Amino acid sequence: MGHAFDATDITLSIVKIAIVLIMMLQITPIMVWVERRGSALIQDRPGPNRVGPLGLLQSFADALKFILKEDIIPSGAHKWLYTLAPALGLFPALTTIAVVPWGRGFLLHERLFLGRRLFAGGRWFEPVVADVSVGLLVVFALASLSVYGITTAGWASNNKYSLFGGIRASAQMISYELSLTLAAVSALLVAGSLRLTDVVWQQTGSFVLFNTIKLPAWNVFSPAMWLSFIIFTVSGFAETNRLPFDFAEAEAELVAGYHTEYSSMKFALFFMSEYMAMGTMSALITTLYLGGWDIPWYHEPPTFLGFILSALCFLAKVSFLMFVFVWVRWTIPRLKYDILMRIGWKIFLPLAFLNIVLVAAFIAAGWI
Amino acid sequence: MEFAIFFFFAAIAVIFALVVVLHRNPVVGALSLVASFFALAVMYVLLEAPFLAALQIIVYAGAIMVLFLFVIMLLNLQHVAEPATRPVQQFLGYLTAAAFGIGLIYFVLKYAVFAALPKGPFLANARVLGIDIFQAYVFPFEMVSILLLAAIVGALVMSGRSMKGGRAAIGNEVPR
Repeated sequence: MGHAFDATDITLSIVKIAIVLIMMLQITPIMVWVERRGSALIQDRPGPNRVGPLGLLQSFADALKFILKEDIIPSGAHKWLYTLAPALGLFPALTTIAVVPWGRGFLLHERLFLGRRLFAGGRWFEPVVADVSVGLLVVFALASLSVYGITTAGWASNNKYSLFGGIRASAQMISYELSLTLAAVSALLVAGSLRLTDVVWQQTGSFVLFNTIKLPAWNVFSPAMWLSFIIFTVSGFAETNRLPFDFAEAEAELVAGYHTEYSSMKFALFFMSEYMAMGTMSALITTLYLGGWDIPWYHEPPTFLGFILSALCFLAKVSFLMFVFVWVRWTIPRLKYDILMRIGWKIFLPLAFLNIVLVAAFIAAGWI
Repeated sequence: MEFAIFFFFAAIAVIFALVVVLHRNPVVGALSLVASFFALAVMYVLLEAPFLAALQIIVYAGAIMVLFLFVIMLLNLQHVAEPATRPVQQFLGYLTAAAFGIGLIYFVLKYAVFAALPKGPFLANARVLGIDIFQAYVFPFEMVSILLLAAIVGALVMSGRSMKGGRAAIGNEVPR
């Protein structure tokens, strides 16, 4: 930022925050519908189809149910922490998306609004809330805080199932955070920057494979990076506590895990943060490996049209990945806890280290 | 604007640090320490060192404090109000703490606060830090890594000893 921060910048920031926040808050109702209808599709049953066309208004009915239910605080619970825990869980899920770019930047021309000039000259509009120089580290910093919501909820409920869920969740998230971080290191090695807009820019354009196939220059198609993509995606599933890694809840063993004692809107907040974390993880996988907002085989112009097209492309990629989250949940059964720990520490961690060495060798040899 | 942010987060850091010391519940203490670390990270951002701010959260708030909380929850410490039994030791403790505090304030005032900061832009990004660590400070860096490795090996050896017994116990429990 060369120039001083003026009113226009603040307005643009507020607009960006509003767009991202509204999108994030829409994730939960939409994904609840996708999850319930998707599971029905996979299990060959109709699913919720009574409220509205195709059951589309089911989420509103659910939300109404949550608001109207009685909010219970168990008598043995630690009242403050019990109330704080859902908010602690929601905070990282809601804020991490701020550093993820969601479209191609464009030049905002001088506009006239009701005969008044809004700002002098053009202004570059970068569609990311906070384009910080340590974007990837901010992601990991906030991801590392996401364990507190679940652990605190588990402890403050004063219930042994909740405590088990919380402790399992913290052990699992600590284990998989390592391979998640190490897998992402290769992406930043290739981009040579921690700034996520740079990571996306490095993936624009295309390369030609064997003089015949023209592939987009996304990291996932790079010969050194597909391994890191697999590690990151699987660790991402574990980090968001989704099946086959949902040991924090594991309803067959722990009733409902860390949120056994929660009801009403407090439970809904945990529900929301799970789906928002899913959305954030999908956005991160897209940004690091699937070219972010890059449209394959198309050079986006730095105009409003280019911005809209690229933002829609980003949305399409994220939506697809979120469907994959649902798809996997209803396809693969839950692992055993010792298997989860074993593959985390004995397979994915060494693979992540190997991957860093591999990518470094590729860079040193000048192949990528 | 910057001053407002500074004082707001400085107040948060101090208040939560006081909660850590004064609150009787260890879980509340651990969580307050996380909040205090978070406010401290904001100080780094204000000092134009976002890289250090991110590391502060990842290492302290994200990694170390999670383990602290983990251990506290596993032990499930119950606070029992103890009667003050050893007055001499208590007095000596207060005295030592006060002497240490006064000494600390004296030396900080003498050396740190009024010393002039070095001129020029403050660089603490990933590139500068990486080059410094792997060129100028490569020896201490490697020493620290060996120290950590020794700690890990030590922990493994100690848990391995108890694991033998554990395995045998499981074997006795479930005959195959």
